[in-house]
Formats: sequence, structure tokens, C-alpha cells
Amino acid sequence: MKKLFTALLCAALTFSLLASCGNGNSGTNANNNGNNTSANQSSGSASDIELPELTGGFEAPILLTSAGQSADSDIIKTLCTKANITVELENQATAENLDGVKTLLISVGGSSKGLGAAGIDADQEIARVQDLIKAAQDADIKIVAMHVGGAPRRGDLSDKFLADPFHAADAAVVGSTGDSDGLIRGLLAENSVPTAYVDSQADCIGCLTTLFS
Amino acid sequence: MLEKIRAQKTLISVLCLVVTLAITVTAGIDFYQFRNYQEVIIPGEGVTGSFMLSEYLPALEGTYGDTMVYVMEGKTEGPSMLVLGGTHPNEPSGHMAAITLVEHCTVDAGTLYVIPRANNSAFTHNDAQEASPHFYHIQTASGTREFIFGSRATNPLDQWPDPDVYTHQPSGQSLSGSETRNLNRGYPGVADGNMTERACYAITELIKDKEIDMTVDLHESSPEYPTINAMVAHESAMELASNALLDMMLDGVQISLEPSPSTLHGLTHRELGDFTDTLPVLMETANPSHGRLRGATNEELVLTGKDPYYLKAAENGYVWVPYDETGVSIEERVARHLTGIHYLCEEYGTLYGKTLSIVGIPSYDELFNGSLGDYLN
Repeated sequence: MKKLFTALLCAALTFSLLASCGNGNSGTNANNNGNNTSANQSSGSASDIELPELTGGFEAPILLTSAGQSADSDIIKTLCTKANITVELENQATAENLDGVKTLLISVGGSSKGLGAAGIDADQEIARVQDLIKAAQDADIKIVAMHVGGAPRRGDLSDKFLADPFHAADAAVVGSTGDSDGLIRGLLAENSVPTAYVDSQADCIGCLTTLFS
Repeated sequence: MLEKIRAQKTLISVLCLVVTLAITVTAGIDFYQFRNYQEVIIPGEGVTGSFMLSEYLPALEGTYGDTMVYVMEGKTEGPSMLVLGGTHPNEPSGHMAAITLVEHCTVDAGTLYVIPRANNSAFTHNDAQEASPHFYHIQTASGTREFIFGSRATNPLDQWPDPDVYTHQPSGQSLSGSETRNLNRGYPGVADGNMTERACYAITELIKDKEIDMTVDLHESSPEYPTINAMVAHESAMELASNALLDMMLDGVQISLEPSPSTLHGLTHRELGDFTDTLPVLMETANPSHGRLRGATNEELVLTGKDPYYLKAAENGYVWVPYDETGVSIEERVARHLTGIHYLCEEYGTLYGKTLSIVGIPSYDELFNGSLGDYLN
């Protein structure tokens, strides 16, 4: 009887160990670097698609907002200042903030700290951005989407905020390291959005100058 | 037969007692020596004065919560900065960056205040069940220097027991009980609180009294933690931090900026901005010896950041920083902190018209490609 119990216990222990180890490939990927996200898998050969070059013609007043509440919007504001472009930063802008605005600049990139600071969750943020984009389009306000945070601004959280701004954009600026999988390029290609890819955030200054020249 | 068993039982009991006593005495000596170890910091010519933190709260005097504040005053007036190293003594790059400033740098204009052992009590033990080394060693021109790898939290010998729930003052925020010993959950501090809250209070009072313009709190974190290779800034410091960050990027240092959550209380980047006029920034570098995925936890891991399990994790996309077989050396981590401090000073000058001029901060490349010991006395 003792031997039977021992054998049963050993079998149960072995089973529980195997179960807890699980399949190494089945876990949720918490990765930020964009190499293993689900979006990657669907992107196919998007990185080969050619996009039109960035052109000017965008006008002030400019409202800068965030899609994802990362502090990249503060960096874009600093870049604008360095390019002698005046922007009004309102991270949680709504349609009411669009009065008199001619260009809506959207900083794309999620931050759990930023969402926490704003006291909202990702779904509320997506809803706000969708409403804002719709109001901007209704008012014929041009939209520029920027993803400048690179690989750290990709992954499960940030990828939720990509589609709306890049689908709606009239122009886009994207950090190369943030689109190694071509997901953003694929979104932009659907509407042939004039786009500039930059190697560093500092290179955005030239792009902003081109856009608002 | 029964007599034989009884005799053996007594023998086994005596043996167990002897072994237990031997372990207790050995561990006790080790605990005692570690708690009373005097880490040596050799101030350089840039240090113009020093005082104990207890000047701002006499109740800290003579306790393990008291710590040295180094003053580096320039020849001309200018803005001031407080650098906090060792808020978490198991995050050595912050501690070593602060010591590098004290030992190697001078100030031309403005005043730099440096606290290399912000949570002094946490340097007197390390975390149970983590198998952390007590010390790490760095080769310098004067010989091999020994530095403490401590704990994240105040020594329980100084502050015990932990409550079930830690209620932060004055916000009323509830955190797990052990956070009551975390210096970076205790700001702005409580004058008659526990040791950790008292240390926070004294640091806050120091900032107020000296009207310190910028405060930089230096940290490390696990490669699998999302806020890493990052600056976290209070909204008042966001413009300063974003400018400094762009400068770092131009130097090839990849770093991100995060806003300080207004609802997460007790942290430097939140409370020092809310309760004082300083511009607070917290910096994080990647430290595999601090992470959950690490293998053998030893001095080599602390200094090189090389770990086969993190390599595996990186290959499978589970870490938030670039990580390969070269690891993340202490030089790279200290270089990140010092480069950040350098550009915060520079950009403060651009934004506010007066510059804190620190001379002798090694460039990112110099430190990354060199040896930290070259910048220590």
C-alpha cells in the first residue's frame, strides 16, 4: 500500500512539474523590441513597400497630443522648439482643443506609467484618440503621426495605439528602430502616406522643418 | 538494544546542537562584520566640505540612517544639484556614479551635493535568499577597492517589524508592508516616523534649505522591467529631461523618457517635485544581478552583467534592453548615469541661463571603453 502511495505521489509530482514548465513557446510575449509581437507575424513583407517622400505645406497653429501617453510627446515638443516651431502640447486633447488648429501632431507610443499618470487605461486612450482624429478630419485639420521612441515604444501596449493615427495620417515620421518589422510601414502603405524614416530622434528636427516650411 | 538507540539519539542530538551552534556563530560573525563594515570613499580635490544628513534631523544622529553629504562648491555662483546614489544599495551603478563624482570631479560654477549612501542602513545587510555577494572589487591606481552590494531596503535591525500594510504619509496611499523600509517610497518623509521616513524627511529638508535646483536619483533595474534605460521626470522637470535625453541620443546613448505618475506616491520623482522647488529626475540602468531571470549571482555578474539566462531571455524577446553576450558592464551603467547628469547640467544652463559646471565627468565612450577604476582614487 505504501509503495502504491509513493508511486502515485511521484507520478503526481512529475506531472505537476511538467505542467508548470509548460511549453516554452506558448507564453505571452512581454517583449518590447518588436521582434516577436503578434503584429510582426502578420506584417509579411511590408518592410519592402516604398512610401512617398515627406513634403511641406503643413501649417500652424499646431496641436500636439499623445496616443498612448508616453513622454515622447515632450520629446517631440522639445524637437519642435529646436526647429523653431511653436506647438501647444495637450496630452489628453479632445475635440474641444481643436478650435483654430490647422495641424494635429500625434506622438504615438504607449507608456504604462503615462497611462497611470493620466488615470486612464489603454481602451479609454484609444477611444479618445479615435474621437479626436474623427473631429480633426471633420474639420479638415491635417494630421501628422510621429513614432520616435524606437524599439522601446513597441510591444503589446504600444502596438495598440499604432493603427488609428497612422491610418489617418497625412504625413508621418518614424524612427527606424521602432519599425524593424515593417508594421508601421504596412499601415502607412494602405494610404500611401508621405513618410520619413529617421535613425535618431535628433534627425526629426529636419523632418519637422520640412513639414512646416 | 534500547540502550544503544538511546545512546545514539543523545549523540545525534549533541551533533545537531554543535552543527547548529557552528552555523549560528559563523553566520553571526558574518552578519556582524557586514553590518559594521566601513566602506571607504576617498574624496577628491573637488570636495569642498561635508556634513552629516542628521544636521537636518537630529533624531538621525548616531543611527545607521545617518549618512554623509559631500559638498562640491564651485569658484563662482551657479545652480545646484543633489545626486542621490545608494537609494537602493543592490543597484551599484548609482552608488558608483555618485562616488565617481566625489572622487574624480570638480565644480567650476554652482554647487553639487552628493549622497553616495542615501539609505545608509541598507548598506549594512543584503537581501535574504538572493545569494547576493557582500562586496564587489574594482582595481584602481591605489590598489583594489572594495564596495558593498547591499539591500534594497533598510536593515530590519534598524526598523522592525514591518506593518502588514504601509500607509504613505501624507498621501494615505497603501503599499505592501515591506515598502515601509524602501527609501524611494518614503518621500517627502516624516520627522517623527520610522528610520526610512526620517531619512527621507532630512533629504527633503536639505533640498528646501539649500534651495537645490535639480535632484537626480540614480537607480538600476532588472532587464525584464519595462522602465529601464530611462529617465523618469516630474512634470516640472520634463522639459529639462527631454532636452538632456536628446543630447544623450546624439551621443549614441539609447534612453527613453517616462512621466512620473501623479498617483504613485513616495518616490523622489513625484514627491520632491510636489513638495520642493527642485526639478527631480530619476534614472534607471539595466542590472542583471538584480533581476529574476539571473543564474549564478556573484561579483562577476554585478560587474559585467553577463548572464547566460538573460542571453536566452533576450533571444526569446523577454527583456526590455538590448542584451547580448557582452552583458551590461558596470562601466556602461555608470557612464549612462554620468552622461545624464552632465547633460542635465548643460541643458539647465540653456533653459534657465545659469550652468552648473562639473569638470572631469568622463564621456560615455571613455568610460564605456575604459575602466571605472581609472576614475576612482
